[in-house]
Amino acid sequence: MLITTTDTNEIIDAISAHVKDNAVLISIGEHTDIDLMDFVNQLKESGLQFMGGMFPKVIHGNSVLEKGIVINTLNNLENLFLVENISSTNYTIPAIHFEEDQEYSLFTYVDGLTSNISNYLSKLYEHYGMQTNYFGGGAGSLTLEQMPCVFCNEGLFQDAAVVGVMKMASRIGVRHGWTKVGGPFIVTKAEGNVIKEINWKNPFDVYKEVVEEHSGLTFTDENFFNIAKGYPFGILKEDAECVVRDPLMVTENGELVCVGELEDNMLVDILNGDKESLVLAARQATQESIDSAVAPRKAIIIDCISRILFLEENFDLELNAITQTIKEKFPDVSIGGALTLGEISSYGEGFLEFYNKTVVVGLFE
Amino acid sequence: MIKTENYIIDILQLHEYGMAIGQSLDYKESCDLFIKLLLKRKHLNAAWILEKKENVYQSTYSIPLGDKIAIDVAQVNGITQNLIESKIFYDDHSIASVSPIKLDGGATAIFDLKGEGFLFLYSKKNNISEKDLSQLRPVINKFSVNLKACKAFNEQQKLLHSLEVQNQELSDYAHMVSHDLKSPLRSIDTLTTWLQEDYASKLDSAGKKQITSIRNSVEKMDTLISGILEYSTIGKTKITSYPVDVNVLLKDIISLIQVPAHISIEIEDLPIVQGDKYRLQQLFQNLLSNALAYNDKKEGKIQVGVKDLGAFWEFFVKDNGKGISDHYFKKIFKVFEKLENNDTSTGIGLSIVKKIVEMYQGQIWLESEETKGTTFYFTLKK
Repeated sequence: MLITTTDTNEIIDAISAHVKDNAVLISIGEHTDIDLMDFVNQLKESGLQFMGGMFPKVIHGNSVLEKGIVINTLNNLENLFLVENISSTNYTIPAIHFEEDQEYSLFTYVDGLTSNISNYLSKLYEHYGMQTNYFGGGAGSLTLEQMPCVFCNEGLFQDAAVVGVMKMASRIGVRHGWTKVGGPFIVTKAEGNVIKEINWKNPFDVYKEVVEEHSGLTFTDENFFNIAKGYPFGILKEDAECVVRDPLMVTENGELVCVGELEDNMLVDILNGDKESLVLAARQATQESIDSAVAPRKAIIIDCISRILFLEENFDLELNAITQTIKEKFPDVSIGGALTLGEISSYGEGFLEFYNKTVVVGLFE
Repeated sequence: MIKTENYIIDILQLHEYGMAIGQSLDYKESCDLFIKLLLKRKHLNAAWILEKKENVYQSTYSIPLGDKIAIDVAQVNGITQNLIESKIFYDDHSIASVSPIKLDGGATAIFDLKGEGFLFLYSKKNNISEKDLSQLRPVINKFSVNLKACKAFNEQQKLLHSLEVQNQELSDYAHMVSHDLKSPLRSIDTLTTWLQEDYASKLDSAGKKQITSIRNSVEKMDTLISGILEYSTIGKTKITSYPVDVNVLLKDIISLIQVPAHISIEIEDLPIVQGDKYRLQQLFQNLLSNALAYNDKKEGKIQVGVKDLGAFWEFFVKDNGKGISDHYFKKIFKVFEKLENNDTSTGIGLSIVKKIVEMYQGQIWLESEETKGTTFYFTLKK
């Protein structure tokens, strides 16, 4: 459900009417004309159980909106909790009792601009393992300025994650559609989200050589992101699509600042894509989730904001590919979601990872 | 071409796995660094290590965290008996029975960790192949060595901690005992002084002599307690080091101690050393006092000299005294060990000397011949 009013009382009334006694997942476009802190405080007083995040844009049906609130009912919620101090790695993940022969889905929104998100996901998997499906994304502003962006009944937070665990079956498809144009390279030195060395050389020199040759373009002082948004890195995985890391800027020393963390000795390719490959990947991810779904009630799309920055007006093609593929098989399913700063899922139920430039489609029964 | 590139990728992937090993000496952290990487890159679902402890196999690591399990040795042996380094099991119920995690079919690779148990890698979707086994064997062998090192380090840390605790307890005990003993001693000394003064006219010479003996014993006891306190303090506080001129230091010591007229002290030109003046004074003063105390010659002679060994100074204090039987060469550096029952000796001086030398990363030893004399050698790090 999409809410466009900016009157917080009306918003809360609309949410209550929609979710009734259930909990609610709230995704807010960052330019929505409400005071987020006031809104969260009013939600706390309303008696609703809620979790949510603020995103650069939200998705409702075939529309992408900078302003607006998309809500999803969280049926059969078992547990809703907050994890603070993600960057410090000093937190505990609560124990949850998972019943045998019962399918679970875990939904998480994390501050997408905090550090050590990989460690947070690793801890989630360490505690809950194969007993649940995982789905979620990175919240925050497109200005890339870190701010309070995830919320739940405990308040509005930055450097935190909110988690909801539901007794609910889900089918998840994950794809990106970027393909290799250079590599493999070894990230010989990395610190957090900064690549400091590739193949024991200046990383920008290595990157520039491959990208300029492939694109026919030349990097200048001003155009790094305009070219780099089409040439992400891919961390190699066996028998699966690589995990994408998005280069955001180059420092004076030629170090590459990415969205998402990298580690020493990682093997990476340099990737490229076009509108066809990206749209195809979105369709495949949707198909993947549809193939195993039986009677989904809702679809949630977590799509990377950098895909819209790359595809620009062609992003409609990607969103249409997703919504049409869903509607063809499940015409009554509601579709909502967000354009995020990083995506969360487990490829085929494997170890949990933080992705960039990727689309994750979840169908919830 | 594609085949060659795949080989290169395989080799580089091995490089990444290899580099993840040995980065930590903490068992869990080592496992996390290597095994989580395997799970991510190879797209696996779970991993655990079973290790034999007493009469059962227990899980020493598991990702995801599983139940605590204790499995009968025979049960694990049944699975691993024909295992030559590694093996894959497909949809095998016997594996589920030795897993701390609930499994759902799939494939499990088992690797022998060479004395460190067995590593199990689980894939729900069967994506483990014989190629994975041969690729991973060398790195997993390296991982086994890392686990062994982690355990050795852990044992060492435990031992160090236990020693630190014991050391602290001993030190606290020494302080406490010394303090408690000194208090009644002070009372005895005061009371005997009063007795000596107030009853001077009533005491005969035998009585006076006995009171003097009591006071001498009290003084000796006081010196002994101070020695114990001193001994327990050395090395407990931060070592301060600054240049100390040993020539000046020895002049000061000689002016403090009483050198009998029949003993001569000959001092070579000594260097400036790095150290704490108070501790170095204790070191030389104790050695010189010993040399003076145990000299039975009509013309006593003491020599102090030094040799430059590069990284160390080697000092010696030589006398022509009674000498020491080689039977006591090691014993004399132990607390309360003394060669003869001497009223002024507490048996703690040389222990303090040894502790100071060791504090400056040096060594102490002696050469001696009975009736001819003794030379103490010690080194001090420059």
